[in-house]
Amino acid sequence: MDLSYRMRLLIVLISIGVLAGGGLVVKRLLIPDSFGVYGPYRADAIVEAALVPIRHGTNASCFKCHPYEANIHKNGRHHTISCEFCHGTYADHVKNGKKTGTLPVKKGKEITTLCLRCHNTEIKARKEKVIKTVAMPDHLKDQNVKITHNCNQCHHVHAPLKYIIRAKQITGLMEAGS
Amino acid sequence: MDTAYSFAAMPISNYVFPNDLHVHWSMMIVLYPYITGLVDGAFIIAALYYLFDIKTLRPVARFSLLFALAFLCCATLPLLLHLGRPERNLNMLLTPSPTSAMAGFGYIYAVSMGVLVFIVLFVYRPDLVELRVTSKGWLQFLYRAMTFDSIDLSEDALVLDKKIIRFLVGIGIPIAVVLHGYVGFIFGGVKANPTWSTPLMPVIFLFSACVSGICAIILAYIVIRKIKGRTIDHRCIKTCIKTLTLFFILAFAFEMLEVFSHSYLRTGYHHMVEGLLNGPLADSFWFWQVKIGSVIPLIILGVMGIFNIKDRLYDFMAAVVSTILLLQVFLMRWNVVIGGQLMSKSARGYTEFHPEWFGKEGILAVIIVMVIPFIILFVFSRIFPFWTTGNETDV
Ligand code: HEC
Ligand code: HEC
Ligand code: HEC
Ligand code: HEC
Repeated sequence: MDLSYRMRLLIVLISIGVLAGGGLVVKRLLIPDSFGVYGPYRADAIVEAALVPIRHGTNASCFKCHPYEANIHKNGRHHTISCEFCHGTYADHVKNGKKTGTLPVKKGKEITTLCLRCHNTEIKARKEKVIKTVAMPDHLKDQNVKITHNCNQCHHVHAPLKYIIRAKQITGLMEAGS
Repeated sequence: MDTAYSFAAMPISNYVFPNDLHVHWSMMIVLYPYITGLVDGAFIIAALYYLFDIKTLRPVARFSLLFALAFLCCATLPLLLHLGRPERNLNMLLTPSPTSAMAGFGYIYAVSMGVLVFIVLFVYRPDLVELRVTSKGWLQFLYRAMTFDSIDLSEDALVLDKKIIRFLVGIGIPIAVVLHGYVGFIFGGVKANPTWSTPLMPVIFLFSACVSGICAIILAYIVIRKIKGRTIDHRCIKTCIKTLTLFFILAFAFEMLEVFSHSYLRTGYHHMVEGLLNGPLADSFWFWQVKIGSVIPLIILGVMGIFNIKDRLYDFMAAVVSTILLLQVFLMRWNVVIGGQLMSKSARGYTEFHPEWFGKEGILAVIIVMVIPFIILFVFSRIFPFWTTGNETDV
């Protein structure tokens, strides 16, 4: 081709224009259809999210098959805590009203780790009046026990003050019924 | 130590929300403004020559363009490394929204890349045409593409080139300023962080960007010329240092003004910002960034500006001051980006940053990201000659 320099530059300029225009077309093609119906996101995403199977059941869903734990849990200080936080999800355990899977049950040291996820003084996210925290190992030292003790050796995991209140009642530190 | 107790060993103070314990924007986000800053400053040097006709800058003008281009190529690398799913980054460009600051950056980046590439092509056209004739094979093909397949070097064509360069550099300046000002804006736009969300942020970033870029050019010019055993154009260094002095005074003044306005206004979060600068950042901000990194260079620059200094010593001082200022700007980025995240939204506690060695955002990755632009620069040097050859006095 025998084009003048100016011509060539013009062609370069036009190509840039064409490329940019082409980019806009490609952009249009790539944007999902339902984008922007409600806002700058895919409207279909809402439908898809609604179709995701539900995995959590709430505490009420556990009670009918676990009346023993339910009874303790409901009357203890942990009554506001979700069973599933400590045990895993309903979906991993029950399908169509039948037990289909085993849930993890923490043992020994794991229990201490679990309790400290919420009760460690070092986690200062919430105030003492919302959740009581303990410093480790001071809390165990205060009770004059070895620091290898696990929390569930004194606290009932489902009703953490159950035995402690009981103990205080027996020793007369607290009146029965409180 | 048992994991259950290990929290007790953390050097956090007071109330820190669990989601504030960990610094989420780590070293890669420090590099991001640093690299775009280098691009900006280098471009300013080129602009001073090509648009404002500061002739003494001629020896470094072409080099600054390539330097800017090499770093611009890597400007998004740290961001991509920071992302959990880097392959999704283009999605944001498909569906930009006024509430997405990052999409804006993507577009500004693309435009500045395009403009810079064309500036380089036009600036180098005479050389490229010459090289095209002597080259063979795929290299020749490359040169043909880069010269728009034209060997027209007539007076008329060169005059046209000059005009185009002026035009491109002319629009290049606002684009470069927007590019880096935007980086500052992205931080300034984070309402949740009181150290960042000030309207001064883009200004501070912009001026310190110019400082770092000019320093990088001075240092690179001196080092490369020395290694190659070639002469150093003293007048050029002098002009660079003068420009640097101006930008550095502005940058430092604004950095300090920001601190002053924080402490004078005593806004709701002031106690946190003050505690941050005097607590966790006492060393890296007051001592390293301000005393060592800013006051000392200011004195050196003052001496260089006022007294008559021998050329060789002057060049040496230029290299020293550039090195210190390059570190100062890096520290400034560090103190803003990482420092700003060391305080909890609880407005009551501070946390600590522990850099990791390996990993996507570790120290090793930082080193690699900073080396890549130099590799690109080396590759460029094979295609585009840095310095005009032959006539040494006329470099
Ligand atoms: C604070 C955490 C926590 C909560 C909340 C909690 N559990 Fe548990 N649960 C445990 C731990 C820990 C054990 C193991 C106790 C042990 O070994 O001493 C356990 C044991 C059990 C067991 C006996 C498992 C076995 O085979 O030994 C059942 C059943 C159970 N929980 C059901 C429930 C139900 C139902 C709820 C809700 C009403 C609930 N848990 C709430 C922590 C919790
Ligand atoms: C359909 C009835 C049913 C429901 C609903 C149910 N479970 Fe169970 N769960 C069982 C049966 C049956 C066992 C086995 C009991 C046994 O071996 O003594 C069991 C055992 C457990 C165990 C011991 C570990 C294991 O998997 O064997 C835990 C912990 C547990 N359930 C927790 C829960 C929690 C938490 C919920 C609520 C989210 C729940 N369960 C809801 C029937 C149920
Ligand atoms: C999901 C977070 C969570 C976990 C895990 C947890 N707790 Fe609790 N715990 C709470 C909350 C919240 C309360 C306060 C409930 C209330 O006041 O309604 C509480 C209350 C208590 C109390 C009563 C404090 C008082 O004096 O009122 C004790 C004791 C306790 N927990 C011990 C434990 C032990 C032991 C474990 C481990 C088996 C444990 N907690 C695991 C959240 C948790
Ligand atoms: C040796 C027995 C023992 C062990 C082991 C133990 N506690 Fe306690 N804990 C107590 C007693 C007793 C109290 C009640 C103290 C009181 O009311 O003065 C208590 C109180 C608490 C409280 C309420 C604190 C408050 O301020 O009222 C929390 C929370 C708690 N314990 C958590 C734990 C956790 C978590 C563990 C495991 C790391 C644990 N405890 C292990 C005996 C124990």
